[in-house]
Amino acid sequence: MFDAQVVLSPKNSPRGKLMSQYVCVRVPRMDNVDIGLFEYDRYNTLYFFILNADEHIYMRYGGRDANSQDTFLSLNSIELALSKGLELHKLYQEGKIARKERPKPVFPKEFAHLVKRTFAAGACVECHLIGDFVNVHREEDGTLDKTRHLYQSPDFRIIGLHFDVPKGLAVKDAQGAVKAAGLQAGDSITALNGDAVYTFGDLQFLYDKLPRTTETMKLTVERAGKPVELDVRLPHLWWKTDIRFRQMSIDPRTYFDSRALTAERKKELGLKADGFASEVSHVDAFAQMMKSHELKVGDVIVAVDGAESDPVADTAEFYIKLRKKAGDSVTLEVLRDGQRIKMPLQTYRMSFRK
Amino acid sequence: MRLHFLPMVCVLATTVLAGGLAAQDEGIDWLTSYEEARTLAKTTGKPIFLEFRCEA
Repeated sequence: MFDAQVVLSPKNSPRGKLMSQYVCVRVPRMDNVDIGLFEYDRYNTLYFFILNADEHIYMRYGGRDANSQDTFLSLNSIELALSKGLELHKLYQEGKIARKERPKPVFPKEFAHLVKRTFAAGACVECHLIGDFVNVHREEDGTLDKTRHLYQSPDFRIIGLHFDVPKGLAVKDAQGAVKAAGLQAGDSITALNGDAVYTFGDLQFLYDKLPRTTETMKLTVERAGKPVELDVRLPHLWWKTDIRFRQMSIDPRTYFDSRALTAERKKELGLKADGFASEVSHVDAFAQMMKSHELKVGDVIVAVDGAESDPVADTAEFYIKLRKKAGDSVTLEVLRDGQRIKMPLQTYRMSFRK
Repeated sequence: MRLHFLPMVCVLATTVLAGGLAAQDEGIDWLTSYEEARTLAKTTGKPIFLEFRCEA
C-alpha cells in the first residue's frame, strides 16, 4: 500500500513535485544490485536511498518491526526526506559536502549458496534470501555473530525511544534509558555518535552497526532550535529484539517459547542465581510433528548440554538460538513434577534450506 | 451566429478540461534500471530516488 502510494504519486501533488526533481528508479529484483553499496536490513520489504550520480548516498529511508513492514514508514516523513535530499544535493554540487568513500562492490553472484538457491534454479534473488544466505556463508567461515547478524536492527523501544513517525526523527515519548539521559518528547534526533542522521532509516542503520557490547552512545538532538548532546547508557540486552518475522535459516528452530525464572523462583528451586533456567510457556504443534522434543508447558529447563548459564542468554531457548547451529541435537535437563530429567531436543533449519 | 460557434467552443473546452485532468493525473516516470538512472542523473544533474521493492 505504502509502495503504491509513493510510486503512483501524481506529479502535481506536493510529493510528486519533490519527486519530479529526482531521477526515480524502482528496482524489484536484486540480481545485479551492488549489495556492498546498497547495504540495508534485507528483511525490509521496501527500502529507499537518496543519492547522486557519483554514488554518494545522502540518506536511507525505511525500517520495519515484527508487527508490520510499514511501522516506520509515512508519506509525510518521506516528503521530509525528499525535501532534505534536495538540500543536501545542492550543498554537494556547491562542494560543501565531501564525497564519501565508496564501499567495495559486492554482488549476489559472489555467494555460492545464494546462486544455487536462486540463479541456478531460475528463481528471483529476493532481498531476504540475500540476508539469509550471506549469514549462511558467515556461519561456514566462522564470522557469524548472532548478536548482530541474527538480532538485526534493534528496536529503539527497548531503550524507551518512541518516534512520532510522520515527523521523521521527532521524539514522541522518552522512557527508560533515553529518559535517564535527558531526552524529551519534542526533541528531534540529528546525529548518533557524531554521524548525521536525517531519517529513521539512517538512525537504525547506524544503531545496528554498534557492537553489541556497547554500553554508551551519544545522541545529538535539536531542542528549541539548539543542539543538545546526550549520553545514553544502554541497558543489558539493548539489542535483543523480536526476530520471529525474519525466518532465518541460521536460527535453530526449537518449537517452544520460554520465560526466565525470577530470582525468587530460582532460589526456591535451588538453582544458580545467574543461570538461564526458564519455564516453558508455549509448545508449538510442530514439536510433535517433527519429533523435536517432548517438552510440556510448565517444565523448567535448567541446563542445555550441561551449561546452566551464559553471559548473554537469559533463557534456555535464547541460549540455543545463540550458541547452537540449526540442525544440532542437544540434551536438556528439565525439572518436571519435582524430578530432574534429561531430555533430547533436535533443532531444525527452515524448510527452504533443506 | 453565436450558435454557429458553439460546437467549436465545446470542443475547445473539452480539450482544455481533458488536458488539465490528464496533467493532474500524470504520474512520476519511474525507471527500472539503476544504471540508466545513474546516466540520466549525470546528464540532468538531478539526484536519484531509488526504491528497492521485493516483489517475490
